[in-house]
Amino acid sequence: MDLLKWFEVRGKSLFYISYSLHRITGLILVLYLVMHLSYLTSLRFGEEIYESFIATTVTPTFLIFDILLVLVGVYHGVNGLRLILHEFGLAYDVRRPILYLSYFLVLVLWLYASYKLYVFIVGV
Amino acid sequence: MENKDKSNMGRDVIFRIKRFDGEKSYWSDFVVPAQKGMTVLEGLYYIKGTYDGSLSFRASCRMGICGSCAMKINDKPRLACETQILQLNSSKIKIEPLDNFRVLKDLITDFEGFFAKHEAVKPYLIRKDDNYAEPVELIQKPEELHAYYDFTLCIKCGACFSVCPAAATRDDYLGPAAMAAAYRFNIDTRDEGRDERMFMVCSDVGVWRCHFAAECSEVCPKNIEPAKAIQKLRFQAAVHMIKKALKRW
Repeated sequence: MDLLKWFEVRGKSLFYISYSLHRITGLILVLYLVMHLSYLTSLRFGEEIYESFIATTVTPTFLIFDILLVLVGVYHGVNGLRLILHEFGLAYDVRRPILYLSYFLVLVLWLYASYKLYVFIVGV
Repeated sequence: MENKDKSNMGRDVIFRIKRFDGEKSYWSDFVVPAQKGMTVLEGLYYIKGTYDGSLSFRASCRMGICGSCAMKINDKPRLACETQILQLNSSKIKIEPLDNFRVLKDLITDFEGFFAKHEAVKPYLIRKDDNYAEPVELIQKPEELHAYYDFTLCIKCGACFSVCPAAATRDDYLGPAAMAAAYRFNIDTRDEGRDERMFMVCSDVGVWRCHFAAECSEVCPKNIEPAKAIQKLRFQAAVHMIKKALKRW
C-alpha cells in the first residue's frame, strides 16, 4: 500500500475532479471540526475566554473564511448526496446531467448562505 | 481541394517516452514523421525500427481487440493501436506505462496480478448440472442477452485499473475490470454460481472499496461502463450479505 498515491489526481474528467474535491473538502471539514470543538472547549476555562474568541472570529474580517467554509460544506454535502443517489446503480445513465445539476445546486446554495452570513455579521 | 491536400499532409511529431531499464526511469525523445491515419502504435514501431531497437512495448492484434497496447498517451490511458497521432493535435506526445501496475521495462507492465484478480471472481458460467458427456443447449431470450452483452466486450487492457484511486492505494483491490466480469456472469440467466462469486465480491477487497470516481468508465476504450457494473454489483452484494446474515440469525 502506497499512501502517497492517495494524493495523486489521476483522472482528467469532471467526475474524477469531483471525487478529488470531495476528498479535499472532507479533510478540511475534519480539520474544521477539530478546531470547532477546541473552540467550544474554551468554555471550560471561563465565559470571558469564549466571548473573546467570539469577538475575534465573528467579525467582518473573518467573514471570507466563513464563506469559504460554507462552500466546502455545501460542496461536500451536495456531492455526497449525488454519490448516495448513484450507489447501487441508481440513475447511473443520467450521471452527467446530475453532476452538472449538483454543481449548479452548490453554487446557488453557497451564494444564498453567503448572503445570509453577510447580513448576519455585517448587516445591510 | 487544397484543404483536402493539407489534411493528408504529414508532419513531424515528437514522441516523449518514459523508459525504464530495470533500475532507473528516464525520458527519451524521438521524431516521428506522422501521416494521416498513422497510429501511436505504428509510431512506436517506427521508433523501434529506425532509432532504438531496445524500446519495449506490448502489442498484438493492432485492431483494438487484444488489449495489449494500453498505455498512457498524453496523460490518458488509451489503446496505442486505436489512437491516431494527428488526431491528438499535439506536436509532442507524452507516452508512459499504465499507472497502478509494476513497470517491467519501458512501456511493459506486469499484468500477473490483474489477471489473478480476474480469475478470482470466477469469470465463467457455473452450472450445477454440468455434464460434458451429454451437453445441453442453454436457451436465453434476446433481452436476457442484452442485459449483460456490453460487459462481455471487455478486452482486459487495464486502462480502468490504471486510473482507479482505490487500486492506487490497495494492491489487492479487485478493480473495475474484474468486478465488471463478476457482474456480467452474475446477471447471466444461465449462470448458477452467484454465491461462489460473491465470496470475493463482498470481501474487503471487493465492491465496498469503490469510491465512485467513475474514471474507469471515462477511459474504457470499449465503453463498457465498469463503474455502472460495480454500482449494480453493490446492490447484489448488499442483498447477498443481508440474506446471509438472516440465515445465520
